[in-house]
Amino acid sequence: MPFVSFLISFIISEKYSWILSFIAPFLSLLSAFGAVVVLIETWNEQPIAMHWNWFSVAGIQFTAGILIDNLSALMLMIVTLISFLVHVYSTGYMAGDSNIRTYFGMLGFFTFAMLGIVVAGNLLLIFIFWELVGFSSYMLIGHWQYKPEAADAAKRAFIFNRIGDTGFLISLMVLWTTCGTFDLNALASQPLSQTWSSVAALGIFCGVAGKSAQFPLFSWLPKAMEGPTPVSALIHAATMVAAGVFLLARVFFLLTPVVLDIIIIAGSITALAGALAALAQVDIKRILAFSTISQLGLMVMAIGAGSPSAAILHLFAHAFFKACLFLSAGAVIHTLHQAQHQSHMDFDVQDIRNLGGLRKKLPFTFFMFVISGAALAGLPLFTGFASKEAILDVIILWKGPVMTWRWLILVSAFGVTFLTAVYTFRMIWGIFYGKENATAGLTVSEAPPVMRAPMFLLAVACIWIGISINPLDYNGWIYNGLHPGKDFHFNFLAPLSAGWVALALWIAYWSKERSFSSSLLLNAFHTDRLINAIIERPAFQLAGISSRFDKKWIDGVLHTAAYLQLIVAHVTGWVDRGLVDGSVNAIAWMTKELGSFTRSFQGGKIQLYIFWTVFTIIIFIIWTLL
Amino acid sequence: MFPTAHFIFLGAILFSIGITIVVVKRNMIIVLLGIELMLNASVLNLVAFNQIHPQHIDGQMFGLFVIVIAVCEAAVGLAIIIQVYRYYQTSIPEDVNELGERG
Repeated sequence: MPFVSFLISFIISEKYSWILSFIAPFLSLLSAFGAVVVLIETWNEQPIAMHWNWFSVAGIQFTAGILIDNLSALMLMIVTLISFLVHVYSTGYMAGDSNIRTYFGMLGFFTFAMLGIVVAGNLLLIFIFWELVGFSSYMLIGHWQYKPEAADAAKRAFIFNRIGDTGFLISLMVLWTTCGTFDLNALASQPLSQTWSSVAALGIFCGVAGKSAQFPLFSWLPKAMEGPTPVSALIHAATMVAAGVFLLARVFFLLTPVVLDIIIIAGSITALAGALAALAQVDIKRILAFSTISQLGLMVMAIGAGSPSAAILHLFAHAFFKACLFLSAGAVIHTLHQAQHQSHMDFDVQDIRNLGGLRKKLPFTFFMFVISGAALAGLPLFTGFASKEAILDVIILWKGPVMTWRWLILVSAFGVTFLTAVYTFRMIWGIFYGKENATAGLTVSEAPPVMRAPMFLLAVACIWIGISINPLDYNGWIYNGLHPGKDFHFNFLAPLSAGWVALALWIAYWSKERSFSSSLLLNAFHTDRLINAIIERPAFQLAGISSRFDKKWIDGVLHTAAYLQLIVAHVTGWVDRGLVDGSVNAIAWMTKELGSFTRSFQGGKIQLYIFWTVFTIIIFIIWTLL
Repeated sequence: MFPTAHFIFLGAILFSIGITIVVVKRNMIIVLLGIELMLNASVLNLVAFNQIHPQHIDGQMFGLFVIVIAVCEAAVGLAIIIQVYRYYQTSIPEDVNELGERG
């Protein structure tokens, strides 16, 4: 369906582009319905796996297939639902944009590619859709391509993804050479040696780190906030970054203990770094971006701790509350932009230092922001609480009774949840409470209903009922569907984390007037600079060396070759002139000489005639006599 | 009585001198003289060979005939030389080269 929308948006002419704002959401609504039907049909049923021959190279059959189990059905539902809501929201947010055709086209294309990743039952297919997702996110981030920052951010996102994809590609090759198949079911049933499995899993994790913004490849995500806000909600909250976590859950059978350890360490570094960086940011969208990074780090930690189901549970919860947060932030930005436009004031509406006291002016947005922020912070009664509890649970179980480095991971997980609550509520206070700063003179009106409705629906999805009936227990339908059998639950955890979050809230309230202006945190620990130092500079040096090598050796060889050729050409030229022309000239000269020699007999000199006659006769006589 | 070989040698020497004059000398009148010498050499041969067969007089007859022809030839030749001299203002055959290429 989204693919149809993509096609339509390319076919339809510029003049009728307004039609798109009805067709595209309608089509995505259809696909959302389809996904819900699929979810109900296949939930807790036997996984559907179909595959058919795709093409064959050198006698090797490549199969394409789809695999729908609980995991992918759930993801289908998340992706299509959020895609639909974002479509609806975009009709309000992007109204009047000159490039709305490309926008909706790429939105549809992105959703299509994302669904491809979700349903594909074959690693090669997943890789193809994976690349398509990367491409369409590049297009969407750079939607306002006339802004140099947006173009730069799009490039950066694309390149970082590409770095990760290299690892993915390598692991595909490893899997193919060792197993000879890409099919997920076949791979799962195939025994694989520990080493190769680790290599393949590491490669896949490399791809995941690029896509899901894990350490050290996370700096593209905050930069990608230059794109339109609905895009950030769709791509950077709900779907694309979640694709990495989804993929890890899909290929969980490949992950060996060593790789799991690497994954959990990378995840905890990411989560901590993201949370700390989010504290110091002043741009709304960048706060949300860093918080996304840290939440993704949490999910990856859950996978590293051996529980993909907890990770997917958090993914589910995170998709909804983060999309809602992004959409609310978008509403704030959008309404302030319009108000700014009317009153001809100029300030950065995304900078929370300029905002404040908007509670009265934007009551609805405020309400939505608080609900989804509470879910993000992990307050009880919201989805975030349950899913984070699941993650903390599995990490407590994983760390074991003995004191090892694993306790550090647990501590960092608790630290992340604490910091999450702190920065979330600092942000809410910064925007909606306190004195009005730059917005004091503005008359702000709420966002249009077409934008408010999706926000409302997403906020509803943040309530605990989405996960389980009991607000303090995460063992609801999703978790049990994903993770049948094994059941462990630490009863003390729920009250403990509730108190923990309350402490964080108090800290946030206490620190709301202070600002953490640390350039270290603001720049996310200078990962960019680190990457520059580690990768870029050697790359430039390498380039310099190779350019010198190029100049000295390759050019030298070329010059020598050219010189030799010149000499050869001279020789050839000489041969040509001396021998070929020479022989021709010699023949001509001989002919001429012969001619003048014969002509000389007929010089008109009578006495010579006589002489020759007599001479000839004498010769003739001598001839006959002898 | 001289042996025939002497006459033949004399005739050959006369003929050679005549042809040398014809080829070498530049003046036309001298060339004409060379031609006369060659004719006389041939006449001498005719008469000398006639000596071998005394009962025939063919050789002597031919000798007379050649002398007559030579007279005519000398007359015509001289006339031509005079005409050539009149026309070309020269009696040197090398200068008369209208048929040859222009130097």
